[in-house]
Amino acid sequence: MIEPALIPLLSDVLGVPPKSLTDGTTMKDVETWDSLRHIELVVRIEETFGLNLGPDDIVRMTNVAAIRAVLAQHGAAAA
Amino acid sequence: MGHAIVTGGAGHLGAATAHALRQRGHTVFVIDRPGEALQRIGNEAGIVPIACDLLDPEAASAAFSTAWGMAGAAIPILVNAVGRIHSAPLVNLLAAENRKHDAAIWRDVVDANLTATFISTAEQVDRMVATRTRGVVVNFGSIAASGNAGQAAYSAAKAGIVAATVAWGKELGPFGIRFVAIAPGFIDTPTTHDALSEAALKDWQRRTPLRRLGTATEVADAVLFAVNNAHFSGRVIELDGGLTL
Repeated sequence: MIEPALIPLLSDVLGVPPKSLTDGTTMKDVETWDSLRHIELVVRIEETFGLNLGPDDIVRMTNVAAIRAVLAQHGAAAA
Repeated sequence: MGHAIVTGGAGHLGAATAHALRQRGHTVFVIDRPGEALQRIGNEAGIVPIACDLLDPEAASAAFSTAWGMAGAAIPILVNAVGRIHSAPLVNLLAAENRKHDAAIWRDVVDANLTATFISTAEQVDRMVATRTRGVVVNFGSIAASGNAGQAAYSAAKAGIVAATVAWGKELGPFGIRFVAIAPGFIDTPTTHDALSEAALKDWQRRTPLRRLGTATEVADAVLFAVNNAHFSGRVIELDGGLTL
């Protein structure tokens, strides 16, 4: 199950309330979601879901829906 | 053991570092400008010379691709021992004309120290991030980073290296990539003797609590500490015999 872990993770890394995050939320919508925070996000997602994201995955992950899609593509389950 | 890259590894401090890493079982790729010094260090088993002008970004990229390709595995250690000392005052009162510090020389000194470190670090870290390789980048700063009279360009470049080391340590820490700067004081190398008169060197020794110059081996030992201590990052190791206390 991705859902229970993903939103709290994003909320924690980005420092925003969970309720403010939807599938439509993009990097542009969240002031703290810059390229540096993206590094932390990638590391946390890899640790949490036990996977290695490729360069193409990382570039794609610019909104919540895309992150969800990448996780699904990797068959991710919360570690 | 693993692999390591030493840029500027044909120079005195770089070569001492390459030897130290080699003695601990690493295969060491030495990236430096072509010349006799690079050929000489490349004659040693376990040390692979790669000729390159690091200020040419395409050449630098090719050199790092060569090293990573030859290693056939991740390279977790980069030591940037590149650098060039230059001494000149901001305004030379003894000159009848062209009294101001030459701007082209300023750029050359900053490039040789700071820009070369930036280019090689970017090449290495890009590969480390892509392969999720944890490791360390050790950059050669200097006690000059706090400002040596008559060496503004060199001092500014070394201060830039220290600042970049801290910034990169903060940026890349989450990926398990550490950054450490070594700040040598006056080290007993031919470069030091070329840059300073014997009288000036004696004066610096007198002002150093340990009353002697450091050795290249001691600098290499500091690099090994930075390589081996996995909890040390974003900091500067000042190796100056207590001169800056």
